[in-house]
Amino acid sequence: MDLSNPMREVYWNITGKNLMYVLLVPVLVAFFRGFYSKYRLWKIGRPTRRRDNWRRRLAGFFRGAVVQEKNFRDRYSGWMHFFIWGGMLVLFIGTANVALDEYLGVPTMEGLFYLYFQSLVLDVFGLLAIVGLAMALYRRYVVRPPRLHRTPQDAVFLGLLLLVLVTGFVIEGLRIAVTEDPWAAWSPVGWAFAAAFRATGMAAETMVGLHRFSWWFHLALAFAWIACVPYTKLTHLVTSPANIYMRSLGPKGRLEPINLETAEFLGASNLRHFTWKQLFDLDACTECGRCQDACPAHATLKPLNPKAVVLDLRDYMHEYGPLYLRRAQDDPWAAPAETPDGRPVPVMVGAVIAEDALWSCTTCRACMEACPVEIEHVPAIMDMRRFLAMDQASMPEGMADAIRSLETRGHPFRGTGGARTDWLQGLDVPVLDLSAGGGTRGAAGGAGADGAGPDADFDVLWWVGCAMAFDERNQKVARSLARVLHRAGVRFAILGNREKCTGDAARRIGHEYLFQTLAGENVATLNQALGNGRPRRIVTACPHCYNTLKHEYPDFGGHYDVVHHTEFIRELVDSGRLKLDGEVRETITFHDPCYLGRYNDVYDAPRKTLKDLSGAEVREIERARESSFCCGGGGALVFVEERIGTRINQTRARQAAETGARTVCTACPFCMTMLADGLKTTSGDEVQALDLAELVDRATAPAGPAAVGAGTGASPGDGSR
Amino acid sequence: MNIVVCLKQIIDYEIPPRAFRIDRQKKKPAMPDASLVIGPFDENALEVALQLREKAGGGRITAVSMGPESAIEALRKALAVTADEAVLLSDPAFSDLDPFGTARVLGAAIKKLGGADLVLTGRQSGDWDAGQVGQLLAEELGAPCVNFAFRAEPGGDGRVRLYKETPGGAEILEAGTPVVATVTNAETNQLRLAKVRDLMAANRKPVPTWSAADLGLDPAALAAGRIEVLDLYVPTYDARCEFVTGETPEDKASALARRLVELKLV
Amino acid sequence: MPGIVIVATAEGQGTNPAALELLGGGAGLAKALGCPLEAVLVSGSGTDPAGPAAKLFAGGARRVYSVRHERLGNGSPEAALEALTAACRRAEPRVVLFSADRLGLEVAPRLAHRLGGSMITDAVALEVRDGDVVATRPAFGGKAMEQVAARATPQVVTVKLRALEPAALDESRSGELVEVPVDLDPGVDRVKLVERVEEAAEGPKLETARVVIGGGRGVGGAENFKQLEELARVLGAALGASRAAVDEGWVPASWQIGQTGKAIASDLYIAVGISGASQHTAGISGVKTIVAINTDPEAPIFERAHLGVVGDHKAVVPALTARLKELLGK
Ligand SMILES: Cc1cc2nc3c(=O)[nH]c(=O)nc-3n(C[C@H](O)[C@H](O)[C@H](O)COP(=O)(O)OP(=O)(O)OC[C@H]3O[C@@H](n4cnc5c(N)ncnc54)[C@H](O)[C@@H]3O)c2cc1C
Ligand code: SF4
Ligand code: SF4
Repeated sequence: MDLSNPMREVYWNITGKNLMYVLLVPVLVAFFRGFYSKYRLWKIGRPTRRRDNWRRRLAGFFRGAVVQEKNFRDRYSGWMHFFIWGGMLVLFIGTANVALDEYLGVPTMEGLFYLYFQSLVLDVFGLLAIVGLAMALYRRYVVRPPRLHRTPQDAVFLGLLLLVLVTGFVIEGLRIAVTEDPWAAWSPVGWAFAAAFRATGMAAETMVGLHRFSWWFHLALAFAWIACVPYTKLTHLVTSPANIYMRSLGPKGRLEPINLETAEFLGASNLRHFTWKQLFDLDACTECGRCQDACPAHATLKPLNPKAVVLDLRDYMHEYGPLYLRRAQDDPWAAPAETPDGRPVPVMVGAVIAEDALWSCTTCRACMEACPVEIEHVPAIMDMRRFLAMDQASMPEGMADAIRSLETRGHPFRGTGGARTDWLQGLDVPVLDLSAGGGTRGAAGGAGADGAGPDADFDVLWWVGCAMAFDERNQKVARSLARVLHRAGVRFAILGNREKCTGDAARRIGHEYLFQTLAGENVATLNQALGNGRPRRIVTACPHCYNTLKHEYPDFGGHYDVVHHTEFIRELVDSGRLKLDGEVRETITFHDPCYLGRYNDVYDAPRKTLKDLSGAEVREIERARESSFCCGGGGALVFVEERIGTRINQTRARQAAETGARTVCTACPFCMTMLADGLKTTSGDEVQALDLAELVDRATAPAGPAAVGAGTGASPGDGSR
Repeated sequence: MNIVVCLKQIIDYEIPPRAFRIDRQKKKPAMPDASLVIGPFDENALEVALQLREKAGGGRITAVSMGPESAIEALRKALAVTADEAVLLSDPAFSDLDPFGTARVLGAAIKKLGGADLVLTGRQSGDWDAGQVGQLLAEELGAPCVNFAFRAEPGGDGRVRLYKETPGGAEILEAGTPVVATVTNAETNQLRLAKVRDLMAANRKPVPTWSAADLGLDPAALAAGRIEVLDLYVPTYDARCEFVTGETPEDKASALARRLVELKLV
Repeated sequence: MPGIVIVATAEGQGTNPAALELLGGGAGLAKALGCPLEAVLVSGSGTDPAGPAAKLFAGGARRVYSVRHERLGNGSPEAALEALTAACRRAEPRVVLFSADRLGLEVAPRLAHRLGGSMITDAVALEVRDGDVVATRPAFGGKAMEQVAARATPQVVTVKLRALEPAALDESRSGELVEVPVDLDPGVDRVKLVERVEEAAEGPKLETARVVIGGGRGVGGAENFKQLEELARVLGAALGASRAAVDEGWVPASWQIGQTGKAIASDLYIAVGISGASQHTAGISGVKTIVAINTDPEAPIFERAHLGVVGDHKAVVPALTARLKELLGK
C-alpha cells in the first residue's frame, strides 16, 4: 500500500458485485414505471406553458429548490430538511463517484479528493442526515405539530432512510476495523464505529462476515427506498424541484381569463378541466402543512384546509385518474361516471372538495406564499368556484346578493341605492364629464354637477371604488384622501357615476362572465378618460381595485400606470409636496391588506409613512408583511355572513390589540369594514381602525396637532358631520 | 301548461329617499343615471313560474313586458333564468298608460299568444305601486284571480294549486285554468341566479316586439285614461331627521308617541 | 243622485273599524259635492245586517245596501266581487271607498273594471278640488307622493288605514236598509279552498310586517328585549335585530335585518340601540318611516331616520310603550 497516495479498495470484501446490477433492473423499472404512470395522469390536464423564460425560472429554482429560502422561514424545519436532503445528495454524489472511478477511470477514489470529499465530507453529511432524521422523528412523533399528519408511510420511509444511513456507517466501520485503514481518521464517524466494533472484541472473521452481510443489506434497503420514490410522498424529491422551476411567473394577482365565447366548460369540476400543471402540483406536495398553518380559514375552524385540498385532490387523482385515461365517448370533457366494478366515481366538487370549503377561501394567498414548493392553491380553488358560480349558479346567499346588485347596479352593495358621488358633498372633487362635448373643470357638489372633460387639466385619475363610495365608514376615508390630495396640490379628477365596480368581487366569487362584462365597460371608460393628452396615472385607495386595474385589465385591453394611495402618499412625502407636520400621538400597528402586501409586495411605503408621523409609535403585529393574517373580507367574503367556526376578523382584531397599539392602521376598505367590526366586538372602543389616509389627513391638517380620537374613527377635520 | 309571466322594468327601488329626484312638470322621476331593474314582486312571480314548471315536469313560460326598448333587458334576464320565450310590447301609444290601459295591452298580447293557463304578475310594480294590473288583467281575460300567491304547484285534473299568503297564515287553493295570480315575496321565491350558459344563450335569443297595431289596439282608445295624475312631489318630512325633544327621557318618549300618532304611523 | 258609497263588512253586531274612518272621510266628500253618503254592507249568512247597519247609520250613512251570503263570510274575493258588483249596480255610486285591507286590495280594482270606473289604491288623503275627488297616495316606496283624479265613474278608491278621521257616532241617526239579493252559483267559483294553514308564530312576519322594531347591541341584553316585545305587542309589530344582537345570542338569527339578514319593507321601523352600519341599513331601504332611539346623537342611523330620540332606550322604550297604550286606547 502506497501511503503517499490515500485510497481504498472499492468493493473490498464483496464478491459477485454484478448481482447488484441485476437487482438494479427491477428497481429502475419500478422507479420509471411509477413516474410514467404519474406522467400519464398529469397529462389528463389541459395544456399550459411553463417552460418559457428559463433564466427567471432557473433563478427561482436556485432560491426555492437549492437555497430553499421558504423552508428557512421556520429555522428548525429549514435546517432539518437541509440536513436530510443535503446529506442524501452528497451521499448520492459519493456513490456516483465510485461508479465514475470504476467505469470511467476517473480517479475519485484516491488522492486528496478521496480524503477530503469521499471520506470526510461524505461522513459529515451522512452524520448530518442522521441528525436531520432524528430532528424529523422528534418533531413528528414527540412535538407533534398539528400541521403534520402522521401516516404509516412516513414512519416506514423515515425508518428505512435511517437504516440505510446507519448500515452505511456500520459497513464503513467494519471495513476500517478489519483493514486497519491508515486514513481512517478522515472518516471520523466510520472510525468511531470501527473503534466500537474493536471494543466488542469481535473476531476478524466475524467482522468480515458481518461486513459482507451488511453491505448487501444496505444495498437492498437503498434500492427498496429508491423503488418507493414514485409511490410515496418521496415523489417530491423529483416533483418539488420541478414544480419550483415551473412555477407561475405571471403577476401574483392575475387570474387566468376564460374565453367565454369558445369555452366548452366553465371552471373545474373534474380533472380534465385543470391544467396539467395544476395536476402536477398535487404530486409536488411535501405534506409539510405550512399552507395549513398560514390559512385564516383553517385557523378559525372553517371546513377549508389548503393542504387537505391538495391532498384530497391528489388522492382522487391517484384513485380515479386512471379511469380518465379511457377516452370518454360522447363528451370529451366529462368525468368518468363509475369504476369498472360499478362503483360510482365521487364528484370532485361537492364530494371530494366540499362546497363550504371552497366558499371559505378569502383568496388571501397566505397558503401560496407559505408553500415551499410553489403549489398554486388559489387558482385551483378559484377554478372550482368558477364551476359552482357559473355552471351551477350556486353560491352563498351574500355573494348571490352581491352578484344581483352588480348585474343591475354596477356595485356589489345590496340596499345602497345612493349615488356614487354622495360622499363628496361639500368637497371640491372634480368629476370628469365624459359625455359628448365634455365640460370644464368645476367643483362638483354631487351627481350631475359640472364636470371636467377628458381634456381637462388633471394629472391623476382617482379610482374611488365602490366600497369607498358607498360604505359609510369608508366614505370618511375617501374624504380624508381628497383633502390630502388637495393639500399636496395634486390635480386629480374622479369618474363619478361612470365608474363601475372593477369586478374583483365578481371575479373572486367565480363569476367570470360578470367580471368580464364590468371589465369591458370600465376599460372603455378609462381609455376614453385617459386617452388623449399626456400620460396619466390612476391612484386608488382600494387594493382590490388596484390589483384588478394593474394586473387583470391588461388582459382586456386596459394598460394603466396604477399606484395605491399608500405608495402615492409616500411619493408625495418624499418629494416634499406633503409635509407631515401635525402631531399624531398614537401607538399604531399596521395591518397588511392581502391584496396590497402579498399580492403586490407593497409593505414598506405605508410603514415608512407611519414612522414619519411625529409622535406616533409603530409596533409590529404578529403575522405581518408576507405572513399577514387576512381580515376575512377578501374573495368577496366581506359580503357573506361567517356562520361556521369563529370569526376571522375577531381573530385578527385580537392580534392587533395584543400589540398594545390603540390604532390599527390599514389601507383597504374591506379590511376597514372587517377590522372595525372585529375590534368593536373584541375590544369595545379601546382600539380603533383607521386608514393611512386618515392619519395622514390628521398629520397634514392645517389646524395643527390633535390626538386621534377613539370611537368611530372620524377625523376632526372631517366636515361631514 | 302555458305560463305567462308579466314583468315590469322599473327605476331602482333601492334608491334612498335623499337621492330620489322627480320632474314635477312631467310628473315623473328624474334620475337619468339610475339603474333599471325588474320589479321585485315580478321577479318573485318569475321564480314561482320556474318552480311550477319544474314540479310539473314541463310547461312553457313566456315572459311579457310592456315598456320602452330598454325593457328588453328585463326580458333577457327572464330568458337567462330559462323562460322559454319573451315578447316585448312597445309602442309610443303604450307610454304613460294607467293600469287599465296596461292590462288591456297585456291582455291583448296574451290572447295573441293563444291564451295561457296561468298568468303571473307581481302583487305590485315596485315603482308606482298601484297593485292593480294583475287583477285588471284577470278581468280582461275573464279569469279568476288569486292574490298574494307565493307558490304554485300542479293540481289535479290540469288545475293549478296556489299558495296564498293571508294575514293569519296561508291558504292552499286550487284553480281551474285559465287563472291569474299576483305574487308576493316569501323565503321560497327569490329569483334564482342565472347560469352563465343560459345567460349567454339568452343574449342570442330573438325577442319579438309587438306594437299596438300588432295587437289590434287603437292608440286613441288607449290614450283615454281613467285617471289623471295632477301632481307628483317628494314629501318633505323625508328630508332630514326630526329630533324629538324633551327634558327627561319620559318627556321625549311622550313626544315621540304623539308624533307617531299625529303622523298616522301607528 | 249618485253618491259616495263606502264598503263595510259586518263584524258581530258592528262593522270593521275602518268603515267608520271611511264614513268620516266620505262625509266630507259628500258634503263638498252635495251628494248622499251611503254604504254597502257585506256579511256572511249567519249575521243579521240590522245591527251593523245601525252602526253605519249612526256613522252618517243614509242608505245601506246589504249583501249577504254564506260564502261572503270566508274571505273569498270571487264571491265578494260578485256581491259588490250587484250592490254597486244597484247603488250607482259616484265614488266607492274601500279600506286598503285584504278585501279592498283584492276586490276593488276588479270591481272598478266591472263597473267601467276608475281605480286609485292606497290613498292617504282625499279632497274635493274643482268638483273632482282628488286622492293623495304614496308612490316609489313612499319616496314620492302623487295626487290623482278620476276620469271615469264610478271612482273606486282604497284608503289606507288611519288615513281618515273616523266619523262620530250619532245613534239617533237612521236610514234605509236595502237588501240586495245575491245569487252566487257555487259552480262559478273557479277557485276552491283546499286547506287553510294557520301560522303558529305569534305576531306578524318580519318581511311583511307593517311595523318592525329592531334592537341592536345598545339594547344591552336578552332580558332588555322583553321591553321591546312589550312595545311590539302594543303596535302589532314584528321584532328584528342587528347582527350584533344576534351575535350576542340575545335573539335568534332569523331576526337579523340587513345585508346578510332579512330585508324589511314596513311602513314604520323603530331602531333601538342600533348604530346604523350600512350593512344593517341595507335591509331597511324599503321602510317608509324610520325612527331611531340611540344615546349617540352622531350615530349614522340618524342620517337615515325620519324621527329620532337621543336617549337611553331603557328609559325611553317603557315610557313610549305606556304612552302609546294610552293614546291608542289599549
Ligand atoms: C360582512 C358583514 C356583514 C354584516 N351584515 C350585517 C347584517 O346583515 N345586519 C346587521 O345588522 N349587521 C351586519 N353587519 C355588522 C355591522 O357592520 C355592524 O357591526 C352591526 O350592524 C352593528 O350592530 P349595532 O348597530 O347593533 O351595534 P353597534 O354598532 O355597536 O351600535 C350600538 C349602538 O347602540 C347605541 N347604544 C348603546 N347603549 C344604548 C342605550 N342604552 N340606549 C340607546 N342606544 C344605545 C350606541 O350609541 C350605538 O350607536 C355585518 C358586518 C359585516 C362585516
Ligand atoms: S387563500 Fe387564504 S383562505 Fe384561501 S386557502 Fe389559501 S390561506 Fe386559506
Ligand atoms: S401545499 Fe405546499 S405548503 Fe401545503 S402541505 Fe403541500 S407543500 Fe406544504
